[in-house]
Amino acid sequence: MSEPLDLGLRAQAAAIAAGDVDPRELLDAALARIEQRNPALNAVVETFPERSREMLAAAPQGPLRGVPLVIKDEWPLPWRAQRFGAAELIAPTAPGESGPYRALRDAGATIVGVGNMHELGAGSTGALSCYGAARNPWDTERCPGGSSSGPAASVAARLVAGAVGADGLGSVRFPAAYCGLTGLKPTFGRAAMQGHHMAPITSLIVSGPLCADAADCRLLGSVLCGEELAAGDAGGLRIGVVRDAVSEDVTPEVAAACEEATEALRAETGGEIREIELPDLEPATLAALLTINAEALSGATPQKLNRLSPELSPIARGTLKYGMLLPAAAVAQAQRLRTLMRRRLAALFADVDVIAWPTIPAPAPPLEAPVVELPSGAHSADQANVRGGALANLSGIPAISVPVGLSGDGLPLALQLQAAWGADELLLDAAEALERANGRRWVDAAPPLAEASATEV
Amino acid sequence: MAENATSSEDFIPAGLAALGIEADETELAVMAAFHGLLWPPLVELLALDTRDVEPERCPDLSKAPEA
Repeated sequence: MSEPLDLGLRAQAAAIAAGDVDPRELLDAALARIEQRNPALNAVVETFPERSREMLAAAPQGPLRGVPLVIKDEWPLPWRAQRFGAAELIAPTAPGESGPYRALRDAGATIVGVGNMHELGAGSTGALSCYGAARNPWDTERCPGGSSSGPAASVAARLVAGAVGADGLGSVRFPAAYCGLTGLKPTFGRAAMQGHHMAPITSLIVSGPLCADAADCRLLGSVLCGEELAAGDAGGLRIGVVRDAVSEDVTPEVAAACEEATEALRAETGGEIREIELPDLEPATLAALLTINAEALSGATPQKLNRLSPELSPIARGTLKYGMLLPAAAVAQAQRLRTLMRRRLAALFADVDVIAWPTIPAPAPPLEAPVVELPSGAHSADQANVRGGALANLSGIPAISVPVGLSGDGLPLALQLQAAWGADELLLDAAEALERANGRRWVDAAPPLAEASATEV
Repeated sequence: MAENATSSEDFIPAGLAALGIEADETELAVMAAFHGLLWPPLVELLALDTRDVEPERCPDLSKAPEA
């Protein structure tokens, strides 16, 4: 891969800063590649070449000057309101300068397109969207992961080197895992969220970067957080592992890849692996679901629900209406459990630096039937995935998904690392250590779709 | 699951009617499926003994809980 567009995020930024790459040519190449590859992916739902060129022309000398990026359909842009992957939203939306937009603009980046997403952000597969499903570059018949489906597919297919997603129950980490990328869910409140239609009420959602590797995530994450996520040393890393369904009810390939990666991380950092207890993970997952349901329905009325667009999927209409029936006592109990889990985590993080478990229990399922076969039986991918993703959002801690292998079908597998509040930098350090341990084998792997025509555009 | 299905037959239409929410057959089928998945663990959640857990007041989720 010698084309500038095939470089990683920081390499593109460095090449532009050094004068080795003309950012106008890079933007044109990104637009051309989107035109070439996107029909097979449906990852990018809108481009706006003139707006992108205007951004580039006005770009300051920031750390991402001239680098084309994709942003999820979850934030407004000055020229476009977000649609949230849906025909209709309960909350009103309008074009505007969102926090991620400002962060990217002020860093000199060029927004080249809007990324597809799972309808209303309510799924881990990307199989449902008002734009039609995005597709996984590793196998276009497979789910790209959700809800940040388009951003992940865009980066994996090398349409761009970085994308901004959002994570409310795992929505950066699941698509990162399905698409073989590194995805960071920052500590709650650390990354730009202004302008998101749920920003005033959410206690779960954060913006986050999706890139090929941890160093690129560090660069884009620093821009989103408005502060440098400084590189450090993960030496002597104490890795906690939980013997629970979240780590054990997974396919044998996932289990083997994650165990091997955890051991490699231990060896690389000269650290240790400690088995830890973290009870009530299943009810904690439900607590997160109840919380996001209550927050998503803020402002909903029976009258509004009776006027939902028929263009919303029946799943969205049904789950929104059902959400109104959930008992308030359960939501209150969810908040008590949230406190309990936060206190348990605080105690655990005195003994371990990170908690490791699989990001996804099985590789990307088919778009036509997003079901995964686990030791406990067949489950919808959403039901199986969320139990590994929700804890970080419920508690506010940061988490990262790192590619650690390929399945027999050639689909990415991923390990998730979670750390204490504010230890986002440590997660990036640990992810980089893991990349060193495996010789960058998995972060440098590209799907056939990206390799086959790498020289064409 | 049979009990869940039975309870959803009562619970969902009654709840929707009480709130004045209309639903078509497809939406009702989605709700019944969702109810079957969600309700059993919800009952377990409600049964958790959390009497000794004093909830955080306006928790700062960007930080560890105060001891």
